[in-house]
Amino acid sequence: MLEAQDIQAEHKDLIHDVAYDYYGRRMATCSSDQYVKVWDQTTEGKWIQTSSWKAHSGSVWKVTWAHPEFGQVLATCSFDRTAAVWEEIVGELPGPGERGTRHWVRRTNLVDSRTSVTDVKFGPKSQGLQLATCSAEGIIRIYEAPDVMNLSQWTLQHEVQSKLPCSCLSWNPSLNKLHPQMIAVGSDDANPANGGKVFIYEYNENSRRWTKLETIGSVVEPVHDIAFSPNLGRSYHILAIATKDVRIVNLTPVEDEQSLQSGVTKLDVQTMAQFEDHNSLVWRVCWNLTGTVLCSTGDDGCVRMFKMNYINSWKPVAVLKGDSSKAQCSSNNAANGNAVTAFSGTARYIKLGSISQTRETPWH
Amino acid sequence: MEKEIKTFLIPNDLCKRAGIAGTWLALDQISVFAYEKRNIRQKDQPSHFASTTQSSVFHLRQDVVLFHPILRKLVNESNGVFLAIQSLISSKNADLRLELFKISRQYRSIIRACLENLQDEHTKSEKSDEKLELQNYITVFYSIECIWHLCEILFIDTMPGNLVLSQLLEWVSFHFPEYERNAASMLAENVVGLETRSEYWDTVLGALLQGRIKLVRALLKQHSSSDNSTYRLAEQILKAMPTFNGPGGSSLNELNMQWRHWTMDVQSKIDSKLFSTEKNLDLMMRLIVGEEKAWIEIQDKCEVWYAYLAGWLFFTEPTVKSFELGQFAKRAITKLRMNNQMKQLDKVLLAAMEFDIFQVIKEIQHMYDNGWFVSHLTDLLYHCDRLCDLEKEVPDFSAEKLRESFILDYGTTLMGHKSLWQVGLTYLDHCPNDGLQVIELLLPRIHMDTEAKAQKVVREAKNRELNNVVQSVCKVQGMLSMRRGRLGNALSWALKSQDGPFTSFLADEFLQNYIKSGRLSSTDLLDNLGSGMLVSDRLIFLGKYYEFHKLYQSGDYREAAALLISLLASKIIPKYFWYILLIESIPLLESGDLLFSSNDTFTIMHCMEEKKDVPELKDKLDILRLAATRNLSRALTFEAQIIE
Repeated sequence: MLEAQDIQAEHKDLIHDVAYDYYGRRMATCSSDQYVKVWDQTTEGKWIQTSSWKAHSGSVWKVTWAHPEFGQVLATCSFDRTAAVWEEIVGELPGPGERGTRHWVRRTNLVDSRTSVTDVKFGPKSQGLQLATCSAEGIIRIYEAPDVMNLSQWTLQHEVQSKLPCSCLSWNPSLNKLHPQMIAVGSDDANPANGGKVFIYEYNENSRRWTKLETIGSVVEPVHDIAFSPNLGRSYHILAIATKDVRIVNLTPVEDEQSLQSGVTKLDVQTMAQFEDHNSLVWRVCWNLTGTVLCSTGDDGCVRMFKMNYINSWKPVAVLKGDSSKAQCSSNNAANGNAVTAFSGTARYIKLGSISQTRETPWH
Repeated sequence: MEKEIKTFLIPNDLCKRAGIAGTWLALDQISVFAYEKRNIRQKDQPSHFASTTQSSVFHLRQDVVLFHPILRKLVNESNGVFLAIQSLISSKNADLRLELFKISRQYRSIIRACLENLQDEHTKSEKSDEKLELQNYITVFYSIECIWHLCEILFIDTMPGNLVLSQLLEWVSFHFPEYERNAASMLAENVVGLETRSEYWDTVLGALLQGRIKLVRALLKQHSSSDNSTYRLAEQILKAMPTFNGPGGSSLNELNMQWRHWTMDVQSKIDSKLFSTEKNLDLMMRLIVGEEKAWIEIQDKCEVWYAYLAGWLFFTEPTVKSFELGQFAKRAITKLRMNNQMKQLDKVLLAAMEFDIFQVIKEIQHMYDNGWFVSHLTDLLYHCDRLCDLEKEVPDFSAEKLRESFILDYGTTLMGHKSLWQVGLTYLDHCPNDGLQVIELLLPRIHMDTEAKAQKVVREAKNRELNNVVQSVCKVQGMLSMRRGRLGNALSWALKSQDGPFTSFLADEFLQNYIKSGRLSSTDLLDNLGSGMLVSDRLIFLGKYYEFHKLYQSGDYREAAALLISLLASKIIPKYFWYILLIESIPLLESGDLLFSSNDTFTIMHCMEEKKDVPELKDKLDILRLAATRNLSRALTFEAQIIE
């Protein structure tokens, strides 16, 4: 059984991205209305908007949180060709409740791109505060804040030119110190003749450069999203790709003579699963915290979930979709009527109906 | 283990029209919002959904029944038993089998206690929806107990020779206790003529099917015609029934023989129409000899097929072996024409009787208990070595991985709860492959709404030597404290994680605050820095400077002066703080007692000339020079006297 809590987002257009902070207690939303909004969860579980500001002069595509070790920091990227870093400032002498005295300031505006910035992601915190952006012109940029206590200074550390326009990127979150930093980049280039649409880059400590390790040749259709799975100390990396279907790929570093000598990792690429369930283009992929369930968003209007079982094979487990019939929703509200008035301060949940009701099989 | 795909509907029109996107939120929630992919090659203009409808974000969470307060005891107590198994296994106890059997019973008694609790609440409850919810829980945990008990009989507490009947009857009578209860209440009245009670014959037959022969005899004795010959004959027959006294008693062959003689005797008495006057007794006797027609007659009295099965086996196959159970079970189900009405519980019980453990596990993982049952039972069966056979039967099967995947899921679920997360940790601790990594991912994400909770998280991380987690949590807490203007707190977190750069940053903040306000804050902490201050030079300076302050304030000017000189001579003074130190040396230079030697004074003068361009020092420079030269003359005179 699932329960749903409805939060009125108050954006004037569709939301492009929703991101949660490290603890899942804060939410940031961004939209074509050029605004970014930040929401906080109260102790009763209610979500309250605490900030809202016009962040860009174009659609805001993505919003993402930095690790809380760096404070309360957001990054956004936009159609207006910029990416920005925002920090929340607490006013002087905040009271115990401390609400209302906070606001977000733009710490930096990254204006190097000449086209729409399509994705922005903070790097793993073990490397300090790094930020990667990618853009329609096909350039991946890595920025760094050398002094993590001063976020107004960012330096452009690396620029990597990809041969195709970039639509999305993902840092490898591996906690293993032996793994060099790795970024996967996807391209939504529409021409299959241009070859693979997913590129894997790695930072080489010796040459101090990002080099391309691999182009995943099996994916030639446009790629719209890409996500590394949280690494549980595995020797290989798992990458989810949103393209014409949902693809799950294992990347295994191969230790042969050649790679040991050159210091450049060689990857063995294997497709572990391919799901056509959406029967349409796939827009987004997202892993749960432990990397056991993948959720994907498709053009069929559905969110689908895939779970890994104990022998590492993947199976679809659930589907979510929008439903305009209000009947079932309102009847549930009526049933919950008493509870709602009794705890007006707490979050209100709607019980969701399920179509194939396996959970409701009579047990006895 | 595959299952059907469930579909959930989000009741929102915009979500329907635009489509939806989903993203994970924390551990167990999914966030869904109306979404339409925008192509960056399109013109950037409002979508056709702009401003028409309010867009919403939906947070979907799984309804975790285990988080219901009434099940808290079950979660905590079963955790104790789970941990007991794990230490039992590592201790290599001699009689593991017996211990594991005890463990199984402990689990069951926890479920029963939980059921009692639920029953109580259900009776007390007055709200209809609450009652319904509790009723659902009761159904779920009743089924769990029923399956667990059968699994215990078949897989954990196996009898020598695989004889299973007596336990099977016990199991049935435990789950259908009403015959025994009725009988007890009737017998307690100790009156003759019990047959006037409407439930009398039902109770007699029920007791008979559960193999409770003594009870049957006691009930028959209270029949008003118990003295007549037919009743006496029945009594004699029942009394003469051969019983199996466990493996120590008569051998199986002997028993079989005795049984055959006994039933032949009963059959001949039936054939001689000795019971024809008492149709109930006649029915009982015909059941005893296993007459098909008689068993068809009582079919409807059996609530469930397994009650029927146990009774039927008792009279026709008293030495049935556990591995034969499956075929008899199927026969019983066919006889009762239940093949098409098998409920979930029936299916699981049948699978257990067929020794299809894989199927049992497959079915019970879908129960509405968030994996409590499947993870605890699988763990127990794994430690009983009951899963290793499956490795040969099921392709790609790994008993260890299966166990771990359930324990991991269960532990992860508990990690999502604000007070059960520590219980969750103990499950993850016993996942040898991925447990520690999952802890490393989840532990630092525990919502730390209080410092005490953060301390708890740090302790748990330290216990597992997860230094990364310790450092990260301390850093986050330090940053939080700093943002709230609580520098002392921030510093103590920074010290806890031995974070050099952050400590230096905070020490700078302390010193800057001092410059602004003339006061040092958090003096308790600075007092007790000890060797902790070695983390950063800046902190050493702060600590020493505070010491100087204390000495000065308590009037120990000589020590204060000595400390000041050693600070000036050191290389750890921050640039922005030089002028403070120099200015603060003025009163000491001008002190009535001579505090600085000529050498000390030279040090001060040297520093002073080096820093004379510092703007903050500008208007103090003259006074400083004057004070220094005056002190120098005093010191030189004094030192000259001493030499003389």
